[in-house]
Order: sequence, then structure tokens, then C-alpha cells
Amino acid sequence: MPCAMDLPTTPDELSAQSMEGTVLKDLLKDSSRWHSIPLLNYTPLHKLKDQTLVRFRGMIQDMMDPEIYLERYEVKSSDGSKRLQDGKFRDCLRLAPGEEIDYNAEGNVHGERRTLFVVSVPGLNDWSKEHEKQCAPQMELVAGQAQSPTSVAKKRTLEEQEGMDVDDTDEGTLKRQRLEKISGTEVASASAPSLGSEYLLNSPLPDRPSMACMVKVYEDFDAYQLNSLVDFVGFLSVDPSLDAATLDVEGYESLSELQAAHPSPFLIPRLHAFGVKVLPHANPLLDESLRQPPDACEDPNPSQLTVHKDLRMLLKLCLFDDDLAAEYLLSHLISTVYSRTDMQSIGKFALNLCNLPKESVQEYTTKLYQVLELLLPASHYLPMTLDLMNTAAFAPKKDYETNKLVSGLLQLAPHTHLVLDETSLQQGKLEASGVHAVQHLAHLINNQELKCDFQYYHIDYQANIPVLVLSEGRSMLPSDFVVPINADAKAVELLDESLKAAHHYLQPSRLQQFRKYLTTARISPFNVSDEHTEMIQNDFVDMRKANVKSNADDLHGLLVLSRLLGIARGKESLDKETWQLATEFEAKRRQRLQSLPKSAQTRN
Amino acid sequence: MARRDYAQDKESIKTFLSEFCKCNDEDGKKEFVYGSQLVKLAHREQVLITIDLDDLAEFNESLAEAVIENCRRYASIFSDVIAELLPSYKQQEVHAKDALDVYIEHRLMMDARTRNPMEQRDERNSFPAELMKRFEVGFKPQSTEKAHSIREVKAQHIGKLVTVRGIVTRCTEVKPMMVVATYTCDRCGSETYQPVNSLSFTPVHDCPSDDCRVNKAGGRLYLQTRGSKFIKFQELKIQEHSDQVPVGHIPRTMTVLCRGEVTRMAQPGDHIVVSGVFLPLVRSGFAQMIQGLLSETFLQAHRIICINKNDEISEKDAELSPEELEELAQDDFYERLATSLAPEIYGHLDVKKALLLLLVGGVDKRPDGMKIRGNINICLMGDPGVAKSQLLGYISRLAVRSQYTTGRGSSGVGLTAAVMKDPLTGEMTLEGGALVLADQGVCCIDEFDKMADTDRTAIHEVMEQQTISIAKAGIMTTLNARVSILAAANPAFGRYNPRRTVEQNIQLPAALLSRFDLLWLIQDKPDRDNDLRLAKHITYVHSHSKQPPTRVKALDMNLMRRYINLCKRKNPTIPDELTDYIVGAYVELRREARNQKDMTFTSARNLLGILRLSTALARLRLSDRVEKDDVAEALRLLEMSKDSLNQIHEHQKGHVPNTSDRIFAIVRELAGSGKAVKIADIMDRCTTKGFKPDQVDKCIDDYEELNVWQVNMGRTKITFM
Repeated sequence: MPCAMDLPTTPDELSAQSMEGTVLKDLLKDSSRWHSIPLLNYTPLHKLKDQTLVRFRGMIQDMMDPEIYLERYEVKSSDGSKRLQDGKFRDCLRLAPGEEIDYNAEGNVHGERRTLFVVSVPGLNDWSKEHEKQCAPQMELVAGQAQSPTSVAKKRTLEEQEGMDVDDTDEGTLKRQRLEKISGTEVASASAPSLGSEYLLNSPLPDRPSMACMVKVYEDFDAYQLNSLVDFVGFLSVDPSLDAATLDVEGYESLSELQAAHPSPFLIPRLHAFGVKVLPHANPLLDESLRQPPDACEDPNPSQLTVHKDLRMLLKLCLFDDDLAAEYLLSHLISTVYSRTDMQSIGKFALNLCNLPKESVQEYTTKLYQVLELLLPASHYLPMTLDLMNTAAFAPKKDYETNKLVSGLLQLAPHTHLVLDETSLQQGKLEASGVHAVQHLAHLINNQELKCDFQYYHIDYQANIPVLVLSEGRSMLPSDFVVPINADAKAVELLDESLKAAHHYLQPSRLQQFRKYLTTARISPFNVSDEHTEMIQNDFVDMRKANVKSNADDLHGLLVLSRLLGIARGKESLDKETWQLATEFEAKRRQRLQSLPKSAQTRN
Repeated sequence: MARRDYAQDKESIKTFLSEFCKCNDEDGKKEFVYGSQLVKLAHREQVLITIDLDDLAEFNESLAEAVIENCRRYASIFSDVIAELLPSYKQQEVHAKDALDVYIEHRLMMDARTRNPMEQRDERNSFPAELMKRFEVGFKPQSTEKAHSIREVKAQHIGKLVTVRGIVTRCTEVKPMMVVATYTCDRCGSETYQPVNSLSFTPVHDCPSDDCRVNKAGGRLYLQTRGSKFIKFQELKIQEHSDQVPVGHIPRTMTVLCRGEVTRMAQPGDHIVVSGVFLPLVRSGFAQMIQGLLSETFLQAHRIICINKNDEISEKDAELSPEELEELAQDDFYERLATSLAPEIYGHLDVKKALLLLLVGGVDKRPDGMKIRGNINICLMGDPGVAKSQLLGYISRLAVRSQYTTGRGSSGVGLTAAVMKDPLTGEMTLEGGALVLADQGVCCIDEFDKMADTDRTAIHEVMEQQTISIAKAGIMTTLNARVSILAAANPAFGRYNPRRTVEQNIQLPAALLSRFDLLWLIQDKPDRDNDLRLAKHITYVHSHSKQPPTRVKALDMNLMRRYINLCKRKNPTIPDELTDYIVGAYVELRREARNQKDMTFTSARNLLGILRLSTALARLRLSDRVEKDDVAEALRLLEMSKDSLNQIHEHQKGHVPNTSDRIFAIVRELAGSGKAVKIADIMDRCTTKGFKPDQVDKCIDDYEELNVWQVNMGRTKITFM
């Protein structure tokens, strides 16, 4: 270990050690320390103690207004003696019976902190959850550590030095108060009108509820972006008195706002963070902030090229033996917005797989998704039924009654794949909310931006959500690439068998390979040399000559496709071969589009 | 910082209030700004006295600074001083205005009668100053003070006078708030007063008067509503405006408490500037465990201004720094500003110049009650995929007030105003549509051609009269809609058909088209040089993740916005000597239009258009006079816009309509209002008119290529798109 010190396990220890922020950060740099902190996501609350060190991983769903709190305050006890108490990393005042806070003391220091509403990654697939759970330290282990003789002894001595014996006694009184309060809570919550827990939890995907946690951060307020993935380390705070139901609500103007700001800590725990890691992706297999099980590392890592081949094979099997569609789907799976200019998001690869064979389409879409679900760390399948379009909330909307940003289906973390099943759309009437839903989807696909409704205006938030649309005919939603599937008649018949074979083929070790491959490919860099740039430019001029209708969008498409084809094959820069492959694929795709029934051809 | 001597400050405030005067510009007389207000206060003709910190700074700079730093303290000092001064300003007997006046008078009289001057009374039994004060003090921040965004107000601003800009999201009803509670004792009958400073208070129960205390009578106190002093009270929630929110963040909110005269100043949705004292909120007596550690904050409002109604306020922020001005003052600033519009869209310099002029706008004129609009309207037409929508999107983001709507998608309220029934009261109210909301701004309408007919008729009025008349559900009214309209239209048949006229291509009536000052056709034609440059641009963007460096660096959007605001304040005039030149140019335009077979129209509206464009150009130079060059540039832009429409007709010049076109006309006629026509019918009709079957086939193929119609698989029927 590079540093002999241990992480403080409670805010008391932290203030007792009087650690500098930088020292604390250095301690956290050691990944083994980071790993050993219990994950709140996978540990039941009753196993964790109030004011202990925990970790929470999730997506920032909402940001509340900053609050001003007493960072240090003077406490007067009944006998007239005074002491200073730290307020940082806490929700409650720390007073012994008979003690009183002196609000006007000179020694009081005010600080500012900010609450972030964090939900566990929406749409995280089962295998990723399972893996994260495995990586999380077991609770028994942590409990043992906390009571290891060294740390206890240390705590003792420090406390004695500081002369804090008083604290030990008031610990007991505090606990009793809590108990009293709990019994009070039950009565109060039964009678007072309160907001539903579903509303408070605010899961972006209501049918796949997320866990929520209110994270209080103390610095770098502007570094946090909405919808980004973050791993927080800090002190848990589950004092029952934090529940608005226990508050004396008389004199409050807006009860529901108070309730929304102070939900029951057992529903939504609080975390006072001092360690923060922004996660570049949601794939737990490649996450350095998790302790990987030892066996995971032992896998032989085959080259990108072979994995690519295997994966393409698999996708081809699932796509009625259509090689071209498999190439496009693979490109889609590794696509990401890698650059944004003022009004364009470059790298997006919204794919529309259409012309699905009618006879098997009903079950096919869900079955295809089942395969994708196994490959992707986070994804969501959305059947576009009329009912869902008309009733579900798609984009987040600000509720001024409670001052909460009420989440919507589209508030997803970067790289969460959205699979839209247009085959389940029936004929019927799309209501006003349904029209808005389609507009939101279209805006997301076209701009990779999420339009949040603040009633008086809209704000666009950058998103990075690859969208795959499955449809019978051409989709009514826009997309960057429309690929009609050329279903092999035999393959249609054998669909069930081939899907079974696909699942059989996906053994755990191979699955791990694919999962790692997809995420690695997504974040790989890719270069285009000047020489090739020139080639591309000349090709485009020729293309325009040959076909007037080809425009700038086609060139954008070709560039994105060639990049992804290259990355998929483990290349680091564009070569002629890949470029030609891309043009060839595009030509083939265009040909297929041409041969679609005419009535469907409205664009291109 | 040394502690200020409040006693001394009090003296200087006294002098300031009684002696501060301004010279009246007209007659040179001295005007005692505050003295005259004090007289009104004394006579109960005015309630709110606003101290302008500009005046105070002129009088005593350090005092003004102290007021900003510790505003609440000085507000009460000012209030005390005024209370002291008021009796001496009373010039006549004042009639009691309300019950409290009478009450105070009675108490004072009784007090004078019964009181032994030597007797010391319990503090709570004496009249608190608040009860006697019938006026309010407010501060107006210095004019150099900038409006902050909510996120800029931090803990260090506590106690200071700050100015914040935001949008009101919620406001409570105006409620009475107790300032002084008056109690009477049920035993001794004496009155007790309790000044209330926070939102809640604990009522006093036991009588503190000497009688009760000495006799241990245990008198109970009862609250007297009539004798207590109440003040109007309202709580507002404001939220940051969208342009103040950094990328990826949630807008912040802030609570504003308004008391007395500053209540009822704003409603939800209003864009306001609030000046007030940033204070921690003292909530007393509950849930100490949490609330004790946290302190909520609020802004005690001193002054609220609605920006919706008063645009000049926001211009204070618009001042350009000398460096910025220098950057703008370079020779090529006109081109530079134009290229900075939507820098990611390549080329189209003239279109961008026109859009720049649209943002700046021409000068409104009102000769003899007639109103001639200064707003410039532009319509962009062109093939799909030529970045029309991006241009519109950029303009709507750049313009300070703008609305973006699509002709097809505008649901509910649409472009015009709608009459809505209030679900609560059942009252009919007018809900502003896009055009009304964009009053004094730009309304960008995409897919103009697909707009509903009702909205389109409303646009006629908007574009010339700049008003909207509503006659719906018994409400008849005219709303202002002083907007510039930027429309984008797709050709009616998918692609622009060079063989048809503008009206036919866009399917908009000439009456509407002529209201656009400039019509621009953006065409997409293969051209080696252009294509290569486009390809270079795109490949650069892809491989470098940023815009390619251009000859001129694109200007920052915020700077553009402020510069445009600055331009809008100029009102250039056209000097007489230019009249001949303009008239000559116009006559020439008309002559040309007569001679050539022009696809556009040249009418008197064009003349007005030239004037608008040239005044906008003069504004852009921040000049007060229109120069000849401005007119020349306006004419050039007009010419270019006409060229963009006419050039495609060049290769057709002198042609009689070819056979395909004539056959198309027949098919159109056959189809009537329907969409599908049988090919057999077409053949019948055409052969009777003397066309050969192969000509008909060719026509069908030609127009299918243009996506005008579709032929079904069996080639028996065609359907119009």
C-alpha cells in the first residue's frame, strides 16, 4: 500500500483525523481501497449503518438547488462550556441533551453543498447487474474490517486525544430519539397526504425501476452533467428524521415540494460524497472502479478480428442469414457520438431494420432483443404500441409543484441502446401526447439531444443513445441508415432453430468476449490520414457527378460507416479497403431500397 | 473592514434625504427629489419611497457602498430617519385613510393624556416604531449594477443587495402578513405589542404589564386583529432563463419574498429583474435536527421589473467592452458577422447576409398615422437537404426573442392566438400563439407551405400590419405581433421544378409571397468546386471533431446577440439627396420586370423593401444616416435573390412549353381534386388532344423522376404525391 493511512469510516473519524481534501483524494486513488467500499446499489439498507462509508453508482437524473449549511458551528452546553462541531458530511445537528447551537457565534462557518438526484443506471441489463454484484465487496467482510482491532484502537486513541468522550454517551441518546421518531413516523405517514414512492423514486423506465439516492456534493458543482454516469464514495445518511413526514409542516407554503425534497431516507438514502469517479461507460466488465473477480482476467483474449468474425456470424444467424444487415447492426452496436459541433452530432448511427418477414415478425423482434440484451450492458426495448405512445412520458418534464424533474423514457445514460419495435404499432389515433412522443423520438434520433420541458421554455440536453428501429415497412421515424432485410426463405423457416443455436453458441466465456469487444470498440480512437481524406473528397465529387441526388448527408453517412467498419475490424485508421467496403455496402443498401415496393419510397 | 459608525451614517442620511436635489433640465430649478416625496409620505399620498443608489453615491460614495453591503440594516436606518423627519414635513392636517390610521391616532391621544412622562414603561407596552410607520423604503440599485443569473448568487452575497434576472415559475396569492401583533389583556386592559420579523411567530400569552405582574393577576392576552398591523405579502419562485443555464445543467430556482408595494408585480411566465437583499430564512422552532444545520435562503425584493413589458432594462448587460468593439470594428465586419451565422453551414454568404439584416431589422416609420413596418421578412425555398432548417434553427437560437414552429407540426395554439377556457373560473382567456409570443422578435416557420389555411390568412395581416385580429368565441381583439417572419418552404413536388413558376412550385398565393422582402431559392446543383469544398468541410469536421478554421473566425453567439441589440437602438434616416437614386433604381427595376418575363413580382412593396434593407444596413454600421453604399448593397441583395429564382429559368428562355408540360397540365386537370388518375383515362384524353402514346409515356416517366407522382406496379394508375 502506498499510503499507510486508512480511509475514515465515519464523518467523525474524518474530522478527528483532520484530513486535507487532497490527502483524502490520494487515498481514494488506490483502487483496492475504492473497491473495498460496500456498494449501496447491491447492499440492503438494513445491513448498513448510518454514517458509514458507502459507494453508489448511477446516473445523475436531477440537480437540486444548492443549500447553505453550517460547516462548523459552536455548541453551547447547559453548563456554559462551548465546543465546535463539524457539520460537513452530515444532515443533522449533533447535539447532546441540554446542548444548544449558537447561531450567532463568530466561529460559525457557512458552506455550500449541492444535492444531486442519482438513480441507478436505467436499463442496466441483468448480466451487468449480476456482475456488478459479484464485484461488490461482501457485507460480512466489511463489517469485519470495520471492527478490526487496529482501526478501533486508533479511533479510541484519537477520540481520547480530542477529549470527545461526551460523544459516546450521546450516541445512545441519539439512537433512542431515532426510535421514538420512527414510531412517530408511521402514524404521521398514515394520516398525512404524501407523494407516492414511485413518483419520488422517479425511475426513467417505470417498468424497470431504478434505485435512487440523493448525493450531496461539496465541490466542483459545475463538473456534473445531467445524465452522466458517476460512481460516488461518501458517508451514508439514513437518519429517520430526514423524512418530511416527521417534520412539523405548519407554515410551509408548498407541502408537496417539501415532501419531494425530503423523502424517507429508507426509500431514498442520502450520501455525502467526497470521492467521485465519472464512468466512461456502463460495462462492468471493463470498469476499473470495480474489483473484477479473479477468474474474469484469466480469459484468453483473442484478437479483435476473430471476435468480430464470430460476432458477425452470430448476428447473421439472428438476421435471417443476411450478411449486410449483420454488418450494419454490428456497426450500430459499436456506434457512439464522438464529436459535436454546434448543430451536428457526429458519429450517430440510428439504424432502421425494415422489411422483416411478416409471418414471423411478431415474436421475432422480442427474440432478437433477447440476444442483444445479452450483449449490451444497458439497453431498453420499447414496443411502440399506440397505448404506450399516447400515455407514457418520453421526455423529462419539470414539475413546479414539487420542483422535481419528472423523468421520461428517454432519459437514459450514454450508450444505453434503445430498441424501438414499430411492428407493434397498430392503426389508430395518435393523441397530442403521442405526437409529442414521436417528435421527441425524432429529435433524439436526428440530433442526439433530449428536449426537456421546463414549461416556460425547453432545454436540450446532449444524449448519446443509439436507436435501433425494427419495422415491417420503412419506419415512420427518421434514421441515418435504413437497411431492408433480405430474408432468406429457408432461414425464415429455420428461425426458431437458429435462434436456439445462437443462444447455445453464446456460452459465458464467449459472451464475455463479445461484451468486452463491443465496449472496447466503442471507445477506440480512429484516424483518417490526409491522403485518404483527399481520396474521399474526390470520390464525393465523382459521386455527385454520377447522381445529383446524393448530398452532404450521404458523405456524412459514408464517413461514419467506414469509421465503424474499420474499428470493428480492429483498425486504428482508415485505409482504402475499408473505405471501399463502406461505399460498396452503401451501394448495396441503396439498391435494396430501390427494390422496395414503390409506395414505401418517399425519401432518398 | 472597520465597523461603520451608524450614528454618523444616520446623520448623513438625514442630510441626504432633506438636502439632496437635482437640477431640473427645463427651467434650471432645483428639485428636491426626496424632500418632495417625504411631503407626500407625510400626507399619506405615497407609500413607497425608493432611494436611488445612484443619487446616494453622488452624495456619499462610501455610504452607497455600505448600503449595498449591508442592505437590511440600512433599510431600517433609512426607515427610522424618515420616521423622525416626517412630522416636520407635514404641511396640513391629514385625513385618516383607514382603520389603522384612526387607531394610531387614538392611541397617541390617549397616551398623551394618561402618561406620566417620567414613568418608565415596559418596552413591549410602548408603541413599536413599525406600528407607526405607514411607509416603505426600497432601494434602486446603481445603474452600473449588472443583473446576475441565479447561479451566480452564492453564500458570500448574504446580506447584500443583488440584482437577479429570471423567469417567474410560481407565485402565491397575496396574503396579509402580520408585522406588529397587538394584544389586550383580559384583566388590566393594557395593550401589548409584538413586532414580528420572521414568517412565523409565537404568540405571547401572559400579560407583561406592571399591573398584572405586580398583582400576579395572571392576565391572559388576546390578539386584536384590528389593532395589529398587516402588510401585503407574496412569495415568488424564479428560475434561470434558458440562456443562463450552462450545457448539461438544470436551471436553478430561487425564492423571492415580496412585501408591501412590490407584491403583484409579476405573474408566472414573466421574465423579471429583481433587486433585493439575499438573506437566510429563519424558520423558528421545529425540526431542529435538520433544519438547524441548513439555512434556506431567499431574496427580499426591493424592486421588481418585468422585462416583457420593458425591454430597455436588459440592455444594460448588452454593453460591449472596448476589446469586443475593436474586434467588431474591423473592415470586413459585415462579411464576418454574416459568416458567423450558422458557421457550420457552408457557403450561402448572401443568404446569411440577408438573415443578418433580418435580425437587425429596418426602421419603423409612422408618417401621418400610417404605419410602415421595419421588420424584414424572408422566405427561403429550396430542395430538401440544403440546410434550410438548420439556418432557421440557428436564427431562432440567436435572436433574443424568437419562436420556432413548423407549419405542419404547430399543434394546439398554432401560429395565431387561441381562445382558451380557464378550467377553474370558466373564464375565456386568450392564449398567445407563436406569432404573438414572438412579438418584437423573429418567428421562424419551417414547412411554410404545409401550413393550415387559417394560420396562413392570419399571416397576411401580421406581415403588413404587424397585428393579429382575433374573433373567436365572442372575444374580438387585436394583438400586437411585430415580428419578422423567416419562413422556409419545400417545393410542392419534392424537388424544385424549373419548368414551373414560383407560385406553382411553392403553392403559395402571390399575395403572400409579395409580402416577403426577399425570396431566396437555395439550390443544390452538382458543381465540382463547390462539391469539393463541401467534401473538405465534412471530412475535416469528422476527423478533427471541430469546425475547420475559416479565413475569418466565427464570432461568439453571445457577442453577436449583444451587437445586434446595440444596432437595434440606432434609428438611421434616409437623407434627401439619396431619394433620387432610390427612385431611379426602383423605376429601373419596374422597367426590367416589364420587359423580361420575370418569375417574381416587382411592386411598390419592393421599394419599401429596399428602404428597409438599407436602413438595416445603416444600423449594422451603427450609423445614423443611410449612405449610398447601403442602398447599393440592398439593391444587390434584392438582385441576387431574384437571380436565385430566375437563373434556373435561363436555359428555358424562349421555349414554348414542351409536350411533357402540356400533357402534365392535362393530367392535372383530369385529376381535379383527387390524387389518383387511371393511365387509360390519360391516354384517352391525350390522344384526343393530338398527343402520341409514346409522348404520354415519356411525360409519365419524366414526372415520376421528379417525384411529382408515382406509378403503380402494374402501370395502370398514377398517384400524385
